[in-house]
Amino acid sequence: MNALGARRKGRGVSAFTALAMADFRERVRRPAYLVMLISAVCLGWLAVPPASTRWVVLDAGGARGLYTSGYVGLVTALTSALWLTLVGFYLVRDAVARDVRTGVGQLLAAGPLRTPVYLAGKFVSNLLVLGSMAGTMAVTALVLQLLRGESRAVDPLALLTPFVFLAVPMLAVTAAAALLFETTPVLRSGFGNVLWLFVWMAGAIGGQSASAPLGGIGVGQLAGTMPATADTFGLGLMYVDRPLRTFEWPGLPLDAGFVAERAAVTLIAVAVALLPALWFHRFDTAAATAAGIASTAGSAAARAAARSLPEPYTVYKGLPRTAAVAGPATGRLLAAEVRILLRGAPWWWWAGAALLGLAGLAAPPGPALALGWIWPVLLWSRLGTGRDAAAILAAYPAPRRRLLAEWAAGVLLAAATGALPAVRMLATGDGPGLAAWAAGALFVPALALALGTLTGAQRTFQAVYPALWYLVINDVAALDYMGALRSAGHPAGPPAPLVAAVALALFAVAFGVVRLRHARR
Amino acid sequence: MLELIDITKVYNGRKRAVDGLTLRLGPGLAGLLGPNGAGKSSLLRIAATVTRPTGGQVRFDGGDAVARPGPLRRALGYLPQDFGVYPHLTALEFLTYLAAVRGIAGRSAKARIGELLELVNLAHAAKRPLGGYSGGMLRRIGIAQALLADPRIIVVDEPTAGLDPEERVRFRNLLSDLSADRSVLLSTHIVSDVESVATRIVVVTGGRVRFDGEPGELVRGVAGHVWELAVPPAELAGVQQRLPVTRLIRTAGHVRVRVLATHRPAPDATPVAPDLEDAYLAVVHRSRTAA
Repeated sequence: MNALGARRKGRGVSAFTALAMADFRERVRRPAYLVMLISAVCLGWLAVPPASTRWVVLDAGGARGLYTSGYVGLVTALTSALWLTLVGFYLVRDAVARDVRTGVGQLLAAGPLRTPVYLAGKFVSNLLVLGSMAGTMAVTALVLQLLRGESRAVDPLALLTPFVFLAVPMLAVTAAAALLFETTPVLRSGFGNVLWLFVWMAGAIGGQSASAPLGGIGVGQLAGTMPATADTFGLGLMYVDRPLRTFEWPGLPLDAGFVAERAAVTLIAVAVALLPALWFHRFDTAAATAAGIASTAGSAAARAAARSLPEPYTVYKGLPRTAAVAGPATGRLLAAEVRILLRGAPWWWWAGAALLGLAGLAAPPGPALALGWIWPVLLWSRLGTGRDAAAILAAYPAPRRRLLAEWAAGVLLAAATGALPAVRMLATGDGPGLAAWAAGALFVPALALALGTLTGAQRTFQAVYPALWYLVINDVAALDYMGALRSAGHPAGPPAPLVAAVALALFAVAFGVVRLRHARR
Repeated sequence: MLELIDITKVYNGRKRAVDGLTLRLGPGLAGLLGPNGAGKSSLLRIAATVTRPTGGQVRFDGGDAVARPGPLRRALGYLPQDFGVYPHLTALEFLTYLAAVRGIAGRSAKARIGELLELVNLAHAAKRPLGGYSGGMLRRIGIAQALLADPRIIVVDEPTAGLDPEERVRFRNLLSDLSADRSVLLSTHIVSDVESVATRIVVVTGGRVRFDGEPGELVRGVAGHVWELAVPPAELAGVQQRLPVTRLIRTAGHVRVRVLATHRPAPDATPVAPDLEDAYLAVVHRSRTAA
């Protein structure tokens, strides 16, 4: 390598380190990071519960290991491999978007930083954030081992080995997937958030299979170390009939094949993280628009056009003559809120809504309603999140009326997308079904409004609502907020007044948060 | 009348952005001048009810505008320094929405929005989505929304940022008209923005008022303290270290420097008539040296 090449390589390494560390520091200095660490402690607590508990995350044929360093390390590492891949994805999926939002991306793009170095820096930062959560879980595991008191012998190596071989590869996959989704057209939208839920479900279930590629999550390596077969081994949050009996877990067996598989998963994750270098727009807003990236479709090109168009010259003629007369405005406010909610929905959204509407004519009202009320998830997720015009609206009167109008717009959207099943229920005189429908129409936007107001992020609702919807269509009747499931012809879910009451409570939460923020402004 | 009495704003328990500041706004345009970080934007956000002061009172028509911001908000037009819009709405739709939020009757809102769009020279772009607007066009939409409800109190933060010279002149004319019977509080660090229209100048540094009075009074305060001299380029750094420089022009062989000094700073220095920028810089310099 000549001197110039060596200098370039050195600059790349230092830029990579600086980028990864700056990004990591920016994230850990936000209050939300503390909440993430507290969540990690809670997750660790869930993984190493008291001996008498019936809620468990690992069930090895009705048994669990004695709480030794190795076993608490295993169970918390598996918990992080399973749950941090879901939650962690949404937590770290903002690294590139933040650079776009803050304008830092423009500064980086104008410098000599190469795209693969940028992506590598973001990947490592994602991994550091997730790793710090896993690290918190490891510390929690150690504390819990001592607290539970089944084994006082502390073995740091046995505790950390499962983290290195089970958790880290999965966290690397999550860090890379978050980056891939952020830098890929279509996936970077809210659609990507919804899609990840289903990708994760497939990965969490398929990854536990013995035939999963590259060992999946890695639980296959536990065969022979536990009194469980593939059929009786359970990983996830489960309620067991009786407290689990105990056995002494011998530790994670390491062999060359297993280590190679884990290394391969990690390397694939690195490759996935660097793959977007082939198409990443490098903060070129014109290219971003062409690729459908900008949230304001066509905005960059339109801005350029606006700048190049000469404006007509007009003479200042004085102040407006029409007085601003106060009068009824509720209807116009609601219409404007509906417009804000719907505007910007791409053509395929409308086409999909129309197709689902037609499908609703053929399917029974329950499934038709379920289909109709998953499609607007990305639009509902806008409710309650930081409004684009927040800086202007902060000094406007009537914040309560605005919040109510925002909710009402969401309810109207629910009513519109669930209209056909409602009409069919009306035609057949299905009063209980209609009541459940009405309660659901109030509930879904109220949930979106509450989550949006609480977290300020669209992705919270985009992750929570499809999970809830998925449970409902998988016959968890207790959560059926819309009356989609039937028992002897009647809605099998909770009573409609209860769902409506929950909707009102969620609206009250949103309202309370807005009031509290206003009081603390 | 809007009164800001003994206002303090402390961020994170440490940074004191506004420090015991009192300001009473009657009809006319008050230009709030100050360097970056002087506390201007914090003060304006407090005046616009967006931020709650850590201490002090905001009173509007005698009522407590911190506890009950409604009456002030109904009488207020506020243009923040940085703001967003709904990019998929057209200018017409966006202003219609804001008029509905303000509770303006439909017919009145429609006519007024048309007139405001003409006023800010955006009638030709009324039906274009705001996502396609340039920075200057968005700033003008901000000005239009601030005037929607024909406010009695107008609070504008760096309103001319991004406007071209022609639009700045138009905006100054507009402010001059507005301030005839309304209270206008305009924050800027560009002296020329307020030079010709302000009836009152308030200079703020370190969160405190350093001057509050008529522009003429501010200028008279530095009469006889502004000098021009020519120095060789090599000596410029020394002059800048010794004296506050308000302007400099490089010409062939030397630099013409305008400085502030209580006494003739050099034998060849000539006294010049001060302008508002000299006077403002003198106040800022005095407050820095006093600190």
